[in-house]
Amino acid sequence: MTVEFDRGKAYVVDRGQPKLRAGQGMIAGLDVVIRHFFSAFTKKLETPDETSGVFTVQYPEERLAMPEAFRNFPILLFDDTTGQELCTSCFQCERICPPQVIHMTQAVDPTTGKPVPAVAEFMIEYDACMSCGLCAEVCPFDAIKMDHDFELATDDRAGMTVRKADLDRPVSYYETIAPTRWAEVKDGAYKKLQGNIKRRSGSIGLSPRAATAPKKAAPAAAKPAAGVAKPVAVKTAMPMAAPGKNMSEEKLARLLSIRAANVAKAGGAAPAEAEEVLATADTDDVAEAPAAVAAARPVSSGGIPFSADNLLGGVPANTTMAEDKVERLKSIRSGNLARRG
Amino acid sequence: MLQFLENIFGPSWIVSLIAFLISTTVILIVTPVTFMMMTWFERRIVARMQDRLGPNRVGPAGLLQAVADGVKMFTKENITPRAADKWVHLIAPLVATGPVIFLFAVIPWGYGLSPVDINVSVLFVIAVSSISAVGLMMGGWGSNNKFALLGAMRAVAQMVSYEIPAVIALLSMVLFTGTMNLNKYTELQGGLPILGNTLKDVIPDLGLGWFVFTPIGLVGFMIFFICILSEGERTPFDIPEADSEIVAGYMTEYSGMKFAVFYMGQFLFNYALSMVASIIFLGGWNFPGIPQLISIAPPIGALASAVVLGAKAWFLFFVMIWLRGAFPRLRMDQLMAFAWKFLLPLALINILSAALWLTIMLWCTGDCTQNPWVFTVGGINPLGWLGNSPVLRQLVGFVLTAIINAGAFFWLLNVNRRPAGETPADLARDQAFGTASLP
Repeated sequence: MTVEFDRGKAYVVDRGQPKLRAGQGMIAGLDVVIRHFFSAFTKKLETPDETSGVFTVQYPEERLAMPEAFRNFPILLFDDTTGQELCTSCFQCERICPPQVIHMTQAVDPTTGKPVPAVAEFMIEYDACMSCGLCAEVCPFDAIKMDHDFELATDDRAGMTVRKADLDRPVSYYETIAPTRWAEVKDGAYKKLQGNIKRRSGSIGLSPRAATAPKKAAPAAAKPAAGVAKPVAVKTAMPMAAPGKNMSEEKLARLLSIRAANVAKAGGAAPAEAEEVLATADTDDVAEAPAAVAAARPVSSGGIPFSADNLLGGVPANTTMAEDKVERLKSIRSGNLARRG
Repeated sequence: MLQFLENIFGPSWIVSLIAFLISTTVILIVTPVTFMMMTWFERRIVARMQDRLGPNRVGPAGLLQAVADGVKMFTKENITPRAADKWVHLIAPLVATGPVIFLFAVIPWGYGLSPVDINVSVLFVIAVSSISAVGLMMGGWGSNNKFALLGAMRAVAQMVSYEIPAVIALLSMVLFTGTMNLNKYTELQGGLPILGNTLKDVIPDLGLGWFVFTPIGLVGFMIFFICILSEGERTPFDIPEADSEIVAGYMTEYSGMKFAVFYMGQFLFNYALSMVASIIFLGGWNFPGIPQLISIAPPIGALASAVVLGAKAWFLFFVMIWLRGAFPRLRMDQLMAFAWKFLLPLALINILSAALWLTIMLWCTGDCTQNPWVFTVGGINPLGWLGNSPVLRQLVGFVLTAIINAGAFFWLLNVNRRPAGETPADLARDQAFGTASLP
């Protein structure tokens, strides 16, 4: 309602309330407050749209489930089964990084002296990182991703400059913290990785973590998940991950459903294994499930055959592959020479 | 007893000295602990009202939070501004807090638990409690800070304004009961609601004849409680330390323990006045069962009475927190208008009601030969029909004072309303320029 008077006009909002007179408004206010007071003793806020109940999350004991897109500091991904890093040292992240805290060296093939699509050393200065996530956004190989772990307070400043050995995380870990986001990019990432691995030789591109304990990557990711199997205090606020530490039951269920869908899409490449994965989930043994998922990966990753043997094209050892490459290189060069005449 | 003690300890002045030292020590221990509990209580309660949990980390349920705060306060730097009047700045917290501790000397904590039993304890409470205003003004002046001075001037103006209705509200009760001794108020409030002790031969003492159930006591209690809020600078009357406007008012330049002493004075002032209000209006330590317990086993009864009185005072403190959780701060002109235009006339009319009630209770019967209350109309006693029954007189007084007080309340509300012509245009103008007036 617009009301005009001698000095102008004003809008009066009709709130649909009867007129409160002689202190009724004060009593209405007291009533609201005391109802909040009592409900705060009996109720906890479950969803953000509720208007009463305690909304405090007692942080170290209770934790809110983090959204998948939550970002803290970047990490590098490597494949669980082969131990190959997804990074190809394309320098895109280094170029886009606003505070310029990403540094890397491209790997060089020792025999040819040519650069290969792999990274020799990678370094991020966490102490100056501003968590913008541009590196993860720009990465064409989905090799750099934003981690969820935020409890990094330390008194050791030098320790905040993190090298490749500490940046590397298995893909299965990233899958636990951001299953749908990984599912979106997974096929492309593995296809590119497959192409890049062909151009790597020796231990180039192998994650230092995978090199020391290649088989333990998946169980390492799975082990802390056992902690989640303990009773969780509140539904919305659950203990969450330190790096690679665990995954909520809800997330796990979602992950499994995505995997099941993928398996179905792949035309039942190995329905038996898929069922096995789901069956594992049904047993409610949360601790074992990620391991089972990791084990079932070659089957469930959308029909792309993905194992060490397949990737290396049936060549038994890396050394022979290098020789093979040298041969090919020689033939190409000779061909070029011949063309030039 | 005294003779026996003299035989053991020597002359009587030593006995008295020891007794006073003991009670002083008890007061000086109990009051700071009460203050610490109050800070914890307030923070926890107001947190729940805002859907939070409040401090719960230090000790069980956060009970030791006040200790942690105390450690923090002690280790903080004690800053005095260079341009401050150093001695005034230093003494101000003591002047503001000392009188508050004095109050606890005359307030009975329970049955037979009054440190000093004086005949004019109500007068003492009124007189001593107003000294704190001097401390506030000293703090504001000595800080040499414009915010501090503004806050202090607001504080003094507010305390002076609200003392008048508070004193008049207490005065009506003094007139009503005929005593200024806080120890006597509890005995007078036994029995049943409204009827008081008048039926004590028929019905056992339920301890529920609280004055708040009578119209005079109700109006007096409301006025006094509002004035407590104002004098203790509680929301919605926390204008002197309006932190969003003038930093922290007169406490702006205070830090460390000097600040804590100011803070303690404020909280204890609230508590002391809550106790006074509980004693005068809420029946003291009267509660069903307590009078019997006191007559059967005096020590246990005294303890129970202290618990009951404490519970009432803490309930009043809870209401203060409740108001803090609900209401915004008043404006200075609203504050003054409320005190002078509404509370003061209502308190004066309340005195009138009390006098009427007293007249009805004391009016003579029959021909009134010996009684000084002689007032006849044409040779006939106009109130002679009341007879000798106190119950009837009590009821008649109740009805008459209820009519007077309720009428006065609504009349004052009406008088204080916005002037005639409350059109939507007026309303809109008020909203647009923030000139809405009370009530």
